[in-house]
Amino acid sequence: MSVWNYVVTAHKPTNVTHSCVGNFTSPQELNLIVAKCTRIEINLLTPQGLQPMLDVPIYGRIATLELFRPHGEAQDFLFIATERYKFCVLQWDAESSELITRAMGDVSDRIGRPTDNGQIGIIDPDCRLIGLHLYDGLFKVIPFDNKGQLKEAFNIRLEELQVLDIKFLYGCSKPTIVVLYQDNKDARHVKTYEVALKDKDFIEGPWSQNNLDNGADLLIPVPPPFCGVLIIGEETIVYCSANVFRAIPIRPSITKAYGRVDADGSRYLLGDHAGLLHLLVITHEKEKVTGLKIELLGETSVASTISYLDNAFVFIGSSYGDSQLVKLNLQPDAKGSYVEVLDRFVNLGPIADFCVVDLERQGQGQVVTCSGAYKDGSLRIVRNGIGINEQASVELQGIKGMWSLRSLTDDPFDTFLVVSFISETRILAMNIEDELEETEIEGFCSQVQTLFCHCAVFNQLVQVTSSSVRLVSSTTRELRQEWNAPSGFSINVATANATQVLLATGGGHLVYLEIGDGTLTQAKHAQLECEISCLDINPIGENPSCSQLAAVGMWTDISVRIFSLPDLNLITKEPLGGEIIPRSVLLCSFEGISYLLCALGDGHLLNFQLNLSTGELKDRKKVSLGTQPITLRTFSSKNTTHVFAASDRPTVIYSSNKKLLYSNVNLKEVSHMCPFNSAAFPDSLAIAKEGELSIGTIDDIQKLHIRSIPLGEQARRICHQEQSRTFAICSLKTHSNAEESEMNFIRLLDDQTFEFISTYPLDTFEYGCSILSCSFSDDSNVYYCVGTAYVLPEENEPTKGRILVFIVEDGKLQLIAEKETKGAVYSLNAFNGKLLAAINQKIQLYKWMLRDDGTHELQSECGHHGHILALYVQTRGDFIVVGDLMKSISLLIYKHEEGAIEERARDYNANWMSAVEILDDDIYLGAENNFNLFTVRKNSEGATDEERGPS
Amino acid sequence: MWREIRDREAGKTRPNSFKNRVSSSRIFDLQLSNYKDVVSPHRGSINSLQVDLTEGRYLLSGASDASASVFDIQHATDFEGGGEGALIAKHKSLITIDKQHQNGHKFAISSAIWYTIDTGLFVTGSYDHYIKVWDTNSTQMVMNFKMPGKVYRTAMSPLATSHMLIAAGTEDVQVRLCDIASGAFAHTLSGHRDGVMTVEWSTSSEWVLVTGGCDGAIRFWDIRRAGCFLVLDQSQSQLGRRPPLLARSAVNKVSTSKALSKGQNISVKPRLPQKKSGSGNGIKHSPIGQIPAKGSLKQRLHPGMLSSQDRATAHYGAVTGLKTTEDGMYLLSAGSDSRIRLWDVKSGRNTLVNFETARLQTSKPIQLATTQDSNLVFVPCMTSVKAFDIWSGRTRVTFRGHYEYVNCCWFSSQDQELYTGGNDRQILVWSPARLISNEDSSPAEDQDNWSD
Repeated sequence: MSVWNYVVTAHKPTNVTHSCVGNFTSPQELNLIVAKCTRIEINLLTPQGLQPMLDVPIYGRIATLELFRPHGEAQDFLFIATERYKFCVLQWDAESSELITRAMGDVSDRIGRPTDNGQIGIIDPDCRLIGLHLYDGLFKVIPFDNKGQLKEAFNIRLEELQVLDIKFLYGCSKPTIVVLYQDNKDARHVKTYEVALKDKDFIEGPWSQNNLDNGADLLIPVPPPFCGVLIIGEETIVYCSANVFRAIPIRPSITKAYGRVDADGSRYLLGDHAGLLHLLVITHEKEKVTGLKIELLGETSVASTISYLDNAFVFIGSSYGDSQLVKLNLQPDAKGSYVEVLDRFVNLGPIADFCVVDLERQGQGQVVTCSGAYKDGSLRIVRNGIGINEQASVELQGIKGMWSLRSLTDDPFDTFLVVSFISETRILAMNIEDELEETEIEGFCSQVQTLFCHCAVFNQLVQVTSSSVRLVSSTTRELRQEWNAPSGFSINVATANATQVLLATGGGHLVYLEIGDGTLTQAKHAQLECEISCLDINPIGENPSCSQLAAVGMWTDISVRIFSLPDLNLITKEPLGGEIIPRSVLLCSFEGISYLLCALGDGHLLNFQLNLSTGELKDRKKVSLGTQPITLRTFSSKNTTHVFAASDRPTVIYSSNKKLLYSNVNLKEVSHMCPFNSAAFPDSLAIAKEGELSIGTIDDIQKLHIRSIPLGEQARRICHQEQSRTFAICSLKTHSNAEESEMNFIRLLDDQTFEFISTYPLDTFEYGCSILSCSFSDDSNVYYCVGTAYVLPEENEPTKGRILVFIVEDGKLQLIAEKETKGAVYSLNAFNGKLLAAINQKIQLYKWMLRDDGTHELQSECGHHGHILALYVQTRGDFIVVGDLMKSISLLIYKHEEGAIEERARDYNANWMSAVEILDDDIYLGAENNFNLFTVRKNSEGATDEERGPS
Repeated sequence: MWREIRDREAGKTRPNSFKNRVSSSRIFDLQLSNYKDVVSPHRGSINSLQVDLTEGRYLLSGASDASASVFDIQHATDFEGGGEGALIAKHKSLITIDKQHQNGHKFAISSAIWYTIDTGLFVTGSYDHYIKVWDTNSTQMVMNFKMPGKVYRTAMSPLATSHMLIAAGTEDVQVRLCDIASGAFAHTLSGHRDGVMTVEWSTSSEWVLVTGGCDGAIRFWDIRRAGCFLVLDQSQSQLGRRPPLLARSAVNKVSTSKALSKGQNISVKPRLPQKKSGSGNGIKHSPIGQIPAKGSLKQRLHPGMLSSQDRATAHYGAVTGLKTTEDGMYLLSAGSDSRIRLWDVKSGRNTLVNFETARLQTSKPIQLATTQDSNLVFVPCMTSVKAFDIWSGRTRVTFRGHYEYVNCCWFSSQDQELYTGGNDRQILVWSPARLISNEDSSPAEDQDNWSD
């Protein structure tokens, strides 16, 4: 039983939470630094656009990211604080192009209540101190000394209970903060404090302002010469300083992000919750602020951060849609927008739901996610696997083998491509115009099928046919030597490297030849007790042209054997077990470890670690790649060796961290593959598919491929129905003009085109909470079931919901049945031909009953109470695993005889759940509120206690 | 709730605020539980309730019949009631220690607390002058301490990593610290002029103990040093003024007014006098704040303090209950003058929040409870329990259910459940309302289930 589980991240985070611009890598270079959840990316601004320089993981979710420049420094330092209360100051080392940690530490307090509104981290503009607001009622100060080093941190008591924002004021002789807060009567005020570093306390600041806009949420400190602060509210924007107060009304909006345009702080970009970008201008006479002006520029993704780069280029970082690089034009375009999107950076988050489907029916799952929020909502199709970018293709039927050959032994590029058919061999070559055309090598026998070809030493080529081995000069292309198979025997399989040829004839004869300059000498012969199915002598030892070992796959006894070369002594015999013969063996080495790969006729692949000196095999592992016989071939891409397994599900085998990994290739069926590294198509592969030969380059190994389907509304739940080839989603359309006007829909999408083909609108205040495609016992139809909730503004907890049952007919959603529930239907599951719903704190099982009039209805059968909110439910057999709002995981069982659901076990930890899944009969996976995963195991020994797994 | 879950899914709500929002909305739904019932085996008034701090699973109660019991509040012993949905989970005591026990207390147990590190030990204090430490698994007494008088209250520090001290308030004027590690008294703290009704450890420093006496004084002790370092004075009430004043400093007032009158002008000038006053005010950099005591504590005032300060009172009459908020920044006190006061711990000042209490019990210590987010305080007010908003003092909820005086309450922030115990020998469970009864049969839930 597996005791440990591990988590691998398939895709780096894409949600941009913070960004800043400054001279980080050099005093002359301008950098954009982007924080994506747990990673920071450093980009260089070039005339061509953003050029990525470094992508660094941070242990912890980034809470604050600030660039600052201590006195006397020519370039900026980066301050990062994480949500785990760790911070660091990073500096760029130009020599090694690496980051140096200048300072780091822990700023956590043992007690204290973490702030509700997120952590605030700010740096005094004159670099006297770093201010952090991490816990309610406390302001942590990390002072700088004269040399720019950080000193010991201390806390200052902040009496304001609900702090919304804190910023440092510019141009103050003592570091001064301005605090935006809400009092216990829900009124909002700002107040200033000077930080007295010696006394470790606050001193009443120069000014304060009471009773601001009730939606005031954001402070923008304005640099000299104005030195005031902008207070951004939902309906007003206020400029405030010790002696100036200016306010303008704005269209109701919630400003999410701002970016300063000018160094003197007279212009700002504001991004709101609807993705509208505004320009705020401070009008002034000399150094006196006279007023504010605001202008709509256009629409972008909903911004979480805005960084003005240079020359009207702006980076819009988004948590809800793709991040964008935009240009602000002087003149509006046809739609009146000044914003021109130049580049988009894919963002998958926030993923509210996803389903795994096999759209192309290749047996390879793809993930379709409900991504984004608000207007930036989209479906994203994420598929794993390696893409082939086809560059040329020709129609060729019946390819039986392919090999590439070089015209000279030392030539870096391949010239010839030998393609073998059942009764002939054709040779293709690159001509001067870089086109592939048919050519001839006189020394080759082209009227028969070729079994193997290889380049040999002394500018020679080897061709193995069923009757002979031919050694041909690659310069003159003439036959130099031929070795004929003994009469009565034909060669069945053969392999070769630069100096050696190994071939097998009928009757279990194994013949070893050595290649000299114009000579082929039979060095050894061995008689085996049964027929040979496959051979390999790929050199993996120290000598790149000569192998010490030969791998041989056998018929009849179904084994793979290792022989030593040149004396053909049997070293190891490894029975494979089963009844499927090995069809391809390959000796290869990844990251300094030697392996023997052995592919079977049924699409399974065995791998062994091979000890080169002793020939021992160990660490046998078996994976299933496809269902058809596999042919193995090595190729190299980006100077590393990979193995291509050609079959009905072509796979690339590569090694990472000394582990073999398998990645699907996004091609349907490949019969043969050979690397073809020509001058015109460097690092390419020649691939023989059904009736076609194509040449293409290969994608980066292990890359997820993402396709985006913008919806213009937020999809919240998705499921796929194989029978109708459709997706159904619960979606939510927000109208940005009026507050709180939301429309909810159930939409049906075609699973190929992703077009809306049918829509069912939900009632006002009715939200889709869960969706399921299922069928019921005694009914052959497949239905979509949708669980909803009526979310009334005055209700804290929904008390009404519906379960809707739809059938897809002629591409339309038809409502078949409807059942009212007494709460929100948080989850739906198909369960023993019935429907299991989680409704508020209850698990309810419904039967699908045929009424007298031939229609169906849902009838409740039994239920189970005892949850606070049963939010997430998964089922397996008769078992039901429930993830509760705050009471971790419990396991229920449905008892058929009694028709009742009973609790079987539960985890008593107080985990606030955000998802559950069943890994196997005994182990359940849970995700909790603070982004942790944990597993619980069912304690089968009768007791109800559960043991916690790794978390 | 749906909205919160939706916002969390979209990444708009942070985990913490999601938790806080859901918890606080549930707290306002608290009512007498219609699905959970603690079956009290006690035949005397319940004086003390505590759920263990490690698992949040075991409720310990101490009662006047010299018995103490442990209940599993997560796992019911059996169920009662007709039909699904109307089931009431009965929580019977797992273990009970009473007079029949060979080492049982002779008189009323006034205080029963869990060992803070795990549930392997618990501590009871009794009017028979003994404090006893029990092994939970074997229900055997492992240690006892003979006190000079009736034990009113015992407390262990929830933070302590370097000591295992039970602080005990007794009839005697001295507060004693009983060391479980050695089985002896570690300290006696002298200062109170009358018996000590209530003791409470700070939630921000493991060395700081707060005690409330029948003399109306609340004293703060740093147990590493002699004497108490702070006595709360109900007449000191200026909070939030910067620079903070310590009552008398006239220099201070001048400087503050200067700073204020200067108002609009940003300059360094007013800083000089303020700096002076700031350093003069060093005393209030007490170790109770967030800054762990690192010798910043000014020794000048110890041990005698100013005699005028030493006589300061927090309440008229006895201090009957103390509770520090979970963030360690505020202290709530209850007095026999029927007042609840909220103190800012760092400055030691009365915040003057007016809690709308009608009357409080005067003769007995009472046990207060706060919510995790420090927004509500639960106070036994005669036969009811009231939940007050800490910052405004307004009554948010009144819990009426006990027939006689309520002595103690405990709030479990893990489940958002309130447990109360009173002279009517009942332990009542108050939980967030379960909205929906059965799917098919929906008669209104009977709220009076507790009375049977």
